[in-house]
Formats: sequence, C-alpha cells, structure tokens
Amino acid sequence: MTTFIIVLCLVVMVGFAISAAMLRSMLKSAVSLAAMSAALAVILYMMGAIWAALFELSVCVGLITVVFISAISLTTPDRRDEAHAADHRRRFAALPFILIALGAAIIAVLVYTGFSLPLPGEEAVAEATFNQVFWQTRQADILGQILMLLAGAFAVVVLFKEGKKI
Amino acid sequence: MSAGMEFVLLTFMGLPLLMVLLNNLLKKEIAQKICLSLGIIAGIVQMAAAVFVFASLKAAGQTEADFSQFWDLGVGASRFSVDFFSLLVLFCIGMVITAGFLTAGKTLGDKKFNFTNLAMILLLGMNGIALVTDLFSLYVFLEITGVASFVMISLNKEGDGIEGAFKYLVMSAIATVFILGGLAFLFMQSGSLQYGDVAAALSDWQYAEQPALLIAGFVLVLVGFSIKSGVMPFHGWLPDAYQSAPAAVSVILGGIVTKMAGVYALLRLTADIFVNVPVFNQILMLLAIVSIVLGAVAAITQTDFKRILAYSSISQIGYILLGASCGSAVGLIGAMLHFFNHATFKTTLFVNSAAVEIATGTTEIEKLGGLQEKMPVTGVSSILAFLSTAGIPPLAGFWSKLLIIIAAWQTGNVFIAGLALFASIFTAAYFLRLQRCVFFGPAVEGLEDTKEVTGGVCLSSLALSAITVGFGLLFPALLLFLQGQGLI
Repeated sequence: MTTFIIVLCLVVMVGFAISAAMLRSMLKSAVSLAAMSAALAVILYMMGAIWAALFELSVCVGLITVVFISAISLTTPDRRDEAHAADHRRRFAALPFILIALGAAIIAVLVYTGFSLPLPGEEAVAEATFNQVFWQTRQADILGQILMLLAGAFAVVVLFKEGKKI
Repeated sequence: MSAGMEFVLLTFMGLPLLMVLLNNLLKKEIAQKICLSLGIIAGIVQMAAAVFVFASLKAAGQTEADFSQFWDLGVGASRFSVDFFSLLVLFCIGMVITAGFLTAGKTLGDKKFNFTNLAMILLLGMNGIALVTDLFSLYVFLEITGVASFVMISLNKEGDGIEGAFKYLVMSAIATVFILGGLAFLFMQSGSLQYGDVAAALSDWQYAEQPALLIAGFVLVLVGFSIKSGVMPFHGWLPDAYQSAPAAVSVILGGIVTKMAGVYALLRLTADIFVNVPVFNQILMLLAIVSIVLGAVAAITQTDFKRILAYSSISQIGYILLGASCGSAVGLIGAMLHFFNHATFKTTLFVNSAAVEIATGTTEIEKLGGLQEKMPVTGVSSILAFLSTAGIPPLAGFWSKLLIIIAAWQTGNVFIAGLALFASIFTAAYFLRLQRCVFFGPAVEGLEDTKEVTGGVCLSSLALSAITVGFGLLFPALLLFLQGQGLI
C-alpha cells in the first residue's frame, strides 16, 4: 500500500510539475507548484523522512506564499485575446489524458510485478533527535535558514513596500 | 591551519553578511551613496581571499581545507570546505559581482540600495554552493540563490521582468523538487548526504539491492540540475530571465548565477560523487552536445543582444558539461577552465550589452548600427570576448575548448568531438552577425550623438578584456604547470 501511495504521489508530482511549467496563468502555475511540493512532502513522509517532509512543507509553503502574493499583487488581469487562449488550450488539451494514462500504466506495471520499495539503509534510520540533527550535524543549514529568512524579508521590501508600479 | 588562514576563510560567508548589516544599519541617505562601494569591496576582497587561500594551501602542500562557520562540531557534521576548484569558482563569483556592481551605478537609479542587499544575499548563496560538502546543504543554498535571483530579476517591477522572474522561479522550484526527490533516494542507500559518503555508497551501485531506485535517484538529480543549468531541452526559462532582468542583474545572472546553481553542482557530482556511474556521464554528454549545437543554432536567429547572449550561454555551458562528462582529468580541467573563461567573456558581453542599452536605450540589434566609432571600448572588448567565445587562439577560450575537445576525442567519441568543434563555426557566425549589426557599418539614424559609457561600465569591460587576453597568453605556462603536477 505504501509503495502504491508513493508511486501515485510521484505521478501526481510530475503531473503538477509539467502543468506548472506549461500553464500561462501565473496564479494557476503557482497553485500547481504548491501541489507538487505537497506531493513530495507526502512521499518523504511515507518513506520515513519525517523531518525532511516537515522542512519541505515549511520551506515550500513559505516560498509558495511569497509567489502567490507576488502573482496576485503584481500582475494585471490577463488581457490576452480569447483566440490566443483557446489556441493554447487546444495545444495542450491532450496533455492531462496522456499523463493520466501514463501514470495508470506505471502503477499497473508496478502492482503487477509486485514492486516494493527497499528498506532504507541502517545508517539512514539511525536514531537521532531533532536537536542532535539540527544543532550538531546540520550547522551549514542553520546559516542557510537565516539567509533564506533574510532573502524573504528583502523580497517583501522590494516587491511590496514601495507600492505597486504596474 | 593558521589563524590568518582561518580568518580569511570566514570572510567568504562573513563579509557579505557584514555588508548587508552595514547597508541596513547606516542612515538611508548615506547607505544610498555608498551601497555600491560595499558590493565592490565585497567582490574585490573575495577575489583577494581566494588568491590568498590558494597560495597558502599550495605553500602548505595541501589540496583542501575544512572549516566551520560557527563552532567546531567534530567528525560527521556538515561543514564548509575549500579546494582548488572551489577557490577558482569563488574568484569567479567575486569577479562577476564586482562587474555587476560597477555596472549598477549607471543602470539602477534609486534601486541601488535594494540591489545591494539582494546581491549580497545572492553572493552568500553562491559562496555556500561553492563551499558545502553535503548534498542537502547544497540544496539549501540553491534555494537561497533562486529566491534572491527571482527578486533581483523583478527589481524594476515591470511586466516583462515579473514574467521572466516568475518563469525562473517556477522552473527553479521544479528543479529543486526533482533534486530533493533524487537526494531522498540516494539517502536511502547511503545513510548520509556528505559527498564522500554518497560516493562510497555508490562505488558498487550495480550490486545494490534495488539498482532501479538508484537510477531513479541519478535521473531525478540530473534533470533537476540540468534545469538549473539551462541546458537543452530544459532551457525554456533562461532567455526570458536574462532578457527581462535589469542590466546589472543580467551581468550577474549571465556571468555566474546559472553556472553556480546548475553547472558547478553537475561538475561536483561528476568529479566527486558519481565517479563510478558511467551512465550518468553518458547522459550528461548527450545533453551537452545537444546544448552546444542547438544553443548555437538558436542564437543565430535571435534579434535581441541579450537573447543572443542567453542562447550563447546555453551553448557554452554545453562545452563545460561535455568536458565534465568525459570522466578524465583532461576533460575535468578543461571544464573548470572553461567555467572561468565563460564567466569572464560572458560577463564582458553582458556589461557591453548594458553599455549599449544605456547609450542607445535599446538592445534590439535591428535598431542599432555603427557604434564602433562612437563606443570604441565597448566595440573592441566585444570583439575580444566573442573571439574568445568562438575559441580563436591565443585567447583564453581557445585553450579550454581545446582541452575539452581533446578529452572528448580521447574517450572515443570522435563524432561528438567533431560536432563540438564544428559548433564553433556557428558561434563565430552569430557573434559576427551581432558585431556587424551593432558596431559596424554606418551609424543608424538617431544614434549619431551616441557616446561611450564611461565610469564603472567601461572599467569592468577593460578589466575583463585584459583578463581574457592575459589568461590566454599565460595559458601555455599553466598547461606546463599542470603537466608538471601530473594532472594532464
């Protein structure tokens, strides 16, 4: 069952990645991106990497929130002509069906062949508390987290504090 | 390690952070006046620090040095480390950041303060990428670089800038999800993400319980970093991001950011981690040659100065990856040197596109012409940079491309080596077209009064051109040195 959920999430993740890259609407693209991150967080959680899943959710939720606000605040309403939009829809109309068919085929093959994920190596499941991991072995990442917060703060200042221009 | 050396190592992460603090603690009026100087100082000090650490390591007979940013945590903790390649890269970062700040003076108006803050965070992100020895830490610093770049591209808050930035961020986020997924698979097998531990765990990956899982890990990581590098067919975001960014941001983005976020990571993976995974190198070689050829062909059809440079970057990044994918010392050294050369000549060209934009108000080549007499420094430095890009001797680009093509030839991939050589003709073609349209011929109506852009823009063009020529002339001595060390 775990394998099935993980494979399903992988398919969902790739599907949302493709839609994020291809959608013309920034807002829809950002939603796809958030969904893709959420799928990855589920995969990480199911594979036993609980801390990684939490980090993925927290970092990406933060990041995606900035993207959401940016997209909503800084873009003008979509003024592209309807013919152009219809052409775009026509071009990619088959994509969701192809992805669903491909995903279903992969899942069917995996279920049929009885594929199951291997257990993580011994070192990967070594007992360690969050404190030990965060303070004792991930020092470089502490600086990284501080810098990420600073980058986020400057992003808000640059994009919002001086008022909307467009 | 001496105390002096330890102090200098700390400057790589400490100095940009100090500059951010200074910029924000000073009174706004003072900060507006000196913020660009802070960035220039940070860039120059970084170059000097890289040279100092290189000389110290050489004198001590060491090839690398580990250090902790906050406190020493003993064995197993993620830490920073420098070796000769990371020092070369740190030098490149300092050089491009300096050029970016010198260009910013004439292009950013009242955005200089915010530009300085973001560029320093970007500098920290890139330095982190160069210094970490752990794949998860690499991911964290990639994210920092991505977020800072996104905001810098949209600094002017204009429609095109926002759209370009958004494309960059979406593709960057997709790439990081692929990378993180790949790292999870690799971690399941190795139990660690330290470069050395992962390499050891992969030494006999064919005999692992589930090699398919490791292959999935390789593919996810390769695709993720390929998107970050902008290699074909993952290049969709790159031309828009380069074109829509403010001029000074394009200099930094095109000069070093893409290379750090994708290419450097791929070089590290091939050199340090996936040493025993030939399939990784084979896929990388395929991507590289596709980028070299199609990037050059696409550049020929472009009509915007910055878009030509963007497609040229895709092609040149292909050369770097081709060298790395050969799996030999010659190829890897060629790749590293082309990394440096590309940072130099592409930064020169982006600085020149900024000069043209400042002087004429456009980068569309069809609206330009006859600028050689009006802007002699920009014109001549453009010629030098594009000759180096095309691999014309004795300029720096010739030597690194030569090493890469020899390495490809030595692996038995004669056809690929031939294609890489042949693609140089395309490089010459699109740059000749660019040079002819922008600089040669009679002055276009309305541009008769155009003048050379002086100050920082001119200075960085001259300095970078001097490096391109000087490095090319000194290259034979470097080759002899490498031969003496038994590296080639």
